[in-house]
Order: sequence, then C-alpha cells, then structure tokens
Amino acid sequence: MSIKPPAGKGLLPKLVIRPEYEVSDIAQAQISDVAHKLSLAERIWNINGVRKAVILLALVAAWQAYTVGFDVEPLMLPSFSISFMRLYNDLFYSDLIYKVWFSVKVLLIGYSAGLVLAALLILWATATRFGSDFIAMATAMFNPLPAIALLPLAMLWFGLGTASLVFVLIHSVLWAVALSTHSGFENVSPTLRMIGRNYGLRGIFYVLKILVPAALPSILAGMKIGWAFAWRTLIGAELVFGASSGSGGLGWYIFESSQNIDTDAVFAGLFTVILFGIVVENVVFRNIELRTVNRWGMQQ
Amino acid sequence: MKNIPNVLVRSEFEATEIAKADIGDVARKLTLFERIIGMHSVRKLSILVLVIVVWEAYTQLSSVSELILPKFSATAQALYQAVASEQLLAMVWNSMTVLVTGYAIGLVIATLLTTAATMTRFGNDVLSTLTAMLNPLPAIALLPLALLWFGLGADAIIFTLLHSVIWPVALNAHVGFMSVSETQRMVGQNYGLKGLVYVGKLLIPAAFPQILMGLKIGWAYAWRTLIAAELVFGGSISDTSEGASGGLGWFIFSNQMELQIAHVFAGLFTVILVGVFVENVVFNAIENRTVRRWGMQAQ
Repeated sequence: MSIKPPAGKGLLPKLVIRPEYEVSDIAQAQISDVAHKLSLAERIWNINGVRKAVILLALVAAWQAYTVGFDVEPLMLPSFSISFMRLYNDLFYSDLIYKVWFSVKVLLIGYSAGLVLAALLILWATATRFGSDFIAMATAMFNPLPAIALLPLAMLWFGLGTASLVFVLIHSVLWAVALSTHSGFENVSPTLRMIGRNYGLRGIFYVLKILVPAALPSILAGMKIGWAFAWRTLIGAELVFGASSGSGGLGWYIFESSQNIDTDAVFAGLFTVILFGIVVENVVFRNIELRTVNRWGMQQ
Repeated sequence: MKNIPNVLVRSEFEATEIAKADIGDVARKLTLFERIIGMHSVRKLSILVLVIVVWEAYTQLSSVSELILPKFSATAQALYQAVASEQLLAMVWNSMTVLVTGYAIGLVIATLLTTAATMTRFGNDVLSTLTAMLNPLPAIALLPLALLWFGLGADAIIFTLLHSVIWPVALNAHVGFMSVSETQRMVGQNYGLKGLVYVGKLLIPAAFPQILMGLKIGWAYAWRTLIAAELVFGGSISDTSEGASGGLGWFIFSNQMELQIAHVFAGLFTVILVGVFVENVVFNAIENRTVRRWGMQAQ
C-alpha cells in the first residue's frame, strides 16, 4: 500500500485534537499471576511418551473395534488380538525366532562385507585421482540401480543360496555408503585438512584421524541409508526367492503365510519386521550418534 | 641449572649473490595431454570406455559362457533389439506411469500429514508415532497384503508405492519445518502470514533442502519397491493380455527365466538409465532452480 499525496495542492489532512484527560484508576492496575499451576491431567498429557502411547493404543483399539464390530473376514483383515497372539505363539512356541536369526545373519554378513569394500574403495579414491574418478562414475551408475534387480543375475552366478543374497546386499550397501562418504570427505574444510598436515599426518592416519571424524555425520547418514536399502532388499529378495535360498528367513515367512492365506501370520511377520527395524534405527544408530557426532557437537 | 646449552655464535658473512636470486616461473604451461586429462568429463568417459573394453575383451578372450556373462556387444544389440521390436519403451512407460501415480498420491498424503503436524500438537504426535513405526517397514513386505486387499493389478503396486513414499517424505519435511529458525518464523509472523500462506511462503522455502532430501529418498525407495514388486509378481500384476506390456521388472524377470542373459543386462541398463535420468536430470534441475539458486546448499 502506498500513501497517496493529498488531492489538490495545500490540502493537508485536518489534525484531530482530542481532549486531555487523566486516568484516575491507574493505581489499581495490577499484574496478576501469569503462571498458573497445571492440573495433574495436563501434566501427564504433556509427557511425550504418554501422548504417543495413547495414540498407539487408539490405533490398536480402532483396528480391533473395526474388525470385531463389522465382523470383517479374518482372512482379509484379522483382528489385532488374533495377530498379536499369533506373533506371541510363533515367537515363543514356533520357529519364527530362527527365521529372524537367519535373516539377520545374512544381513550382517552382507552389511559388513559392503562396509569393508566401501572403505577400501574410499581409501583408493582418497589416494589417487583415478580412484576418485572411478568411484564417482561407479556410484553415479550403480546407486540408482535397485539391488534387487541384480538378484536374477546373482542367482545365475552364485547359485541358489546365501551367496547370492549376500552379493545383492553388498551391492545395496556399498554404493550408498561410498557415495556419501566420498562427498563427506570432499566437504571436509581445508582448515581441518591443513591442521592434519601440520601434524604430519599422512596416508591412512590422515584418513582415520582427520577425514573420518570430520566427515562422520555424512558417513553415518550413508550407513543409515545403506542399512535401510539392505533391509528392504533382503525382505524383498526373501519374498521373491526365499524358498530357494535354503531354510528361508523373515521375508519367506511372510510370503509363505500369504500364500497359505494365513493373514494373521502375515501381520505377525510385519510386526516382527517393524520391531527389528525400530531396534536398529532407534537403538543401534541412535546410540552411535549419541556417542559420536552428538557428543562432539557436530549435530544436535 | 648447569645444563644450559651453549650459545653458538656464527661468524658474520655477507651473501654476495643475493642479486642473482630470482623466482622462477611457477606457472608452467600444461601440455595438450594434461589439459585434456584435466577435464572431468573426459576422465569419466574414459573410465566408462575402459570398463566396456575390459568387459568385451574378457568375454571375447576367455571362453566364459554367454549364459554367465554375455559380451558387451551382444548386450548392446539386445538393448537395441528390445527397444526396436520388443516394446521395451512401452514397458518403461508402463512402469513409469504406475510409479508417477503412486509418487504423486503419496506426496499429496504426505503434504496433508505434514500440514496437520505443523499446525497442531496432536497432529505432530500422530505423525511422529506413525513414521517411527512404519518408516522401518519395507514397503515390499506389504505387497502380499496389498494383493489380498486390492487384487492383482496396478492398485496393489500403487498401494505399496504410497507406503514407500509417504513416510520418508513426511518425516523429512516435518524435521525440516521443525528446524526452521525462530528468526525466520518471526519475520513471517511480522508480515502477518498465517495458516496455509505461512506454510507456503515461509516454511516450505526455508525447509526446502530437507524436503528435497525427503523427495529423493522417497523416489529411491519407490523405484526400488516398484522393480522388486514387478520382479516378484510381475506376470500376475501387469496386464500382459493386450500385446506384450508389463513393466521393466517383468522384462528382466521373464528374460532371466528364459535364460536370455543379454536381455537381462539390457534391462539392467535401462533401469540404470532411468535412475540416472531422474536423479541427475530431474532432481538436479530442481536443485539448481531452488536451493542452489537461493544459496542454501553448496555446489
């Protein structure tokens, strides 16, 4: 909004003069108690955990009420209680826990092999320009390629079994970790680099003592993405070719149950997948972050 | 205090040749070869060519079976043939249609969730509970259920794609909104921005680097989920009745079943090409026009 000049020359707006007056009751003005005590209910409701637990319970209750109230066909959507009982039974009285262990074992082998390979590649890339170009090229090409698409080839090369699963897992971890580590290293500030050189650090010590701690936030981000990809790939691979890779894992449990239209077991499998995912993301990675980047003040 | 080192006194002298001292030419002209090898694109291209040459030479010289590792030339020929006469492009188009549909619906739902989460504390709690639970769940694990609920068809795939897009996008956007600085918020409030305008004009631009990251992760998950879904249930999901359609994942899977390994490689190349196109062309263009132009992100 622009202020318009008064129309016509010399026509200034008229001044309004209001009569003077005195406030007589100003002495009575008083600031009342702004802070008021919260009631017990308000204080409980203010706890984050309580609110989230209530939401979770509400979701479960809605599910249960819907399935029981509307008499939904349990083959389509079993009620929460049935699914939960199935989870309990399969975990403690059946072999679900061994299937989880089978998946986790394969996942750990693939993940650690991928990390080692990524570390080697990165070392090569920091040492030579050719290595750096190579890794930039390879990550640009292989990172957009979903690892699961390689599974048919892997099965051809390594046969049906753990080896092909591990190969696919390595592929899903390696490029994500290498990409973010490489860009993390490149973004380490020149000041930090020069400090390292001033101390005479060279080669592997330079990488370990300067580059790795300085780039740890992006390395951790890469490891988290790599984990997420690996977890998704593993479940997907077991869904596709679970039976062929030996005793079968968690994904195979879900697939087998869905083929048998054992829908409560499918939900039990999904619960297990969620639980394991939460443990890894919120316990394992959270602790690593708390001990390193958060403690060093690089990330809040 | 006995061990004070002796002070060495060196004899004085005058440097006679100081006038001759001369800083040589530090900058030296690069040879043509060095200048060519200094170019990024040349180096990357030559690495690509080198890999292809090694691959071709290895398959030609060692008698590795065509079924284990086809020649590069055979792969390129298979790719050409698939594009020319086997409707590979139509298959890519099928996959992309499903992908874009799922991605777009997922974005809308994620936007609604995030808006609710920024406006009310209850929405915030709902979103954080849901993302904490559902983000670690691989979308592909929901496919068996989706098939049960929606039947065989594109609907089931779109449902799983929704799941793979919504949570990372909503999570990142929400984190981005939360970390918009107090100063910027106050500037917005000072201008009297409220409600949707406040979100659209202030929060979204300020949190755009985070939002973009969520979009990229969502795309990566969706792309992986789609290929996996087509690999698993490709035949049953894609409508293969009208001529040879089906998706890209199905192309790979069916060719692997028929041991057409050169075609499998051709399919993989197509997957890589599409992925590289989306990540390096689409997302890079968005980054260039927004966060880089606004100076929010380094090169």
